Amino acid sequence: MIKKIHLVSVLSLVVFLGIGATWVITKATQASQVLPAVIKQAPPFSLVSHHGEPFTKDSLRNKISVLDFIFTSCPGPCPIMSNNMRTLYNQYKLHPDLQFISITVDPEYDSQEVLKIYADANGVNDKRWKFLRADMEKVKKLSSDGFLLMSDNLPAGHSVKFVLIDGDGNIRQYYNGTDKASISILRNHINLFLKKLRSSV
Amino acid sequence: MKKYFQFSVISIVFTYLLIFIGGLVRVSGAGMGCPDWPKCFDRWIPPTNLEQLPDYIDPEKFNLVLAWVEYLNRLFGALVGLIILVTCVYGLLYFKNHKRVTFSITLALFITFVEGWLGSKLVDTVLDPVTITLHLLLALIIIGLIIYSSIQSYYIIEGNFEKDSVYPGHIKYIILGIMVCVVVEIIIGTEIRGGLDISRKENPLIEGVILLKMLGPFKYIHTILGVILLGLVFYLRKIIQNIKLFPSDYMIYAVNFMLIIICIQIVLGESLVFFDVKPLVQLFHMWFSSLLLGLSIVQYTFWKISNSV
Repeated sequence: MIKKIHLVSVLSLVVFLGIGATWVITKATQASQVLPAVIKQAPPFSLVSHHGEPFTKDSLRNKISVLDFIFTSCPGPCPIMSNNMRTLYNQYKLHPDLQFISITVDPEYDSQEVLKIYADANGVNDKRWKFLRADMEKVKKLSSDGFLLMSDNLPAGHSVKFVLIDGDGNIRQYYNGTDKASISILRNHINLFLKKLRSSV
Repeated sequence: MKKYFQFSVISIVFTYLLIFIGGLVRVSGAGMGCPDWPKCFDRWIPPTNLEQLPDYIDPEKFNLVLAWVEYLNRLFGALVGLIILVTCVYGLLYFKNHKRVTFSITLALFITFVEGWLGSKLVDTVLDPVTITLHLLLALIIIGLIIYSSIQSYYIIEGNFEKDSVYPGHIKYIILGIMVCVVVEIIIGTEIRGGLDISRKENPLIEGVILLKMLGPFKYIHTILGVILLGLVFYLRKIIQNIKLFPSDYMIYAVNFMLIIICIQIVLGESLVFFDVKPLVQLFHMWFSSLLLGLSIVQYTFWKISNSV
């Protein structure tokens, strides 16, 4: 026969599991809601977009930006990076306050026209994703000193990181632009920053 | 022999706890808490700060809480694996001539190893939805096999507790029907859950309940099948309660308990649709469904024993 004690112990176990699970879920949610700390201010810069428009540090203001360094003729990691960037670009099509920035590390080959073709090939049809260029020395300095990225042997030796920049122009976190798990964390952080940006407006 | 039965019961309880913890990892988003496997950030004890991270792992992946949630799941998984191993050894020692006991527990042990390997694949594939479902289904097969083996051993030790029962032949099909319904419900449930995840990625910053509304007809089938399940169990209860069949107390308990859980399941499921997609409710909804499957296996085994000489 089932005794009362059995029923009580089963119910207590369920209550105990419920309380434990609530605690873990709360802790995990809190931990996932923490915004990454400010690493440094983005450096001042002046670049030109594939539309021929100027793009400066001021263009970062009041927007969340995801930035990377690529070049269009790159055989290695760039296609994977641009592929991941394109996925994000498509997923956030309803969020104009999130912009994507790809800076070429091969400005000699990547003319404005080439960047425009590359943008079209990636399905870019609005101003949320910009492809930028400047002369080589400037880009090199921007990548290494400005964004603290590996830039030893450009163009081939560029970094595969995505940089997340908040609405005040602060660098907040780096992500591996070729890695699914890293991109998934970036997605979570983008959501947090977008929510924050909206609540502050 | 009794030792085997005791260990098999411990195995069942711990496997159910592990299914709960696995679900907890999923709802708390800690599945990628450790980006490598079996170690966590290349350490047997997960790191407590960024300095302890190896060079080749990107630091943005480190989240102390998520790493420990995932790692405790792995440790508990290893413990359950050991318990099932010990149970299997006892089974082979004491029930050498009882294939129904030894075959199922040995198979359970083998699938447990596969399950561990599949856990590593989950990390490799960054939580591929199909692999997640497979991971749950394997856990359910393991628990089913252990339950079957455990009851068979009890029957050998204590004698046939169903010897007086005269269940009509067609209840086998009702029980199997319930079992199939539960499995299909679980698969559709994981599809809804996976669809919700994809939908959340495609539509960031939109509430879970709205996303749920955007999902396809799966969710209606899930509800309809749930109601059919309720009807089937009611019907089974009606047959079983006929005193002329001399049903065992165990069978009556199993059916009543199932009925209670299905009612709770319907309430939980509808609360997910009408109120909010709360992680705790999702977790219990999944866990109770695994209990339902266990109970249908219990009923099936009782029926089988009632037909034994």
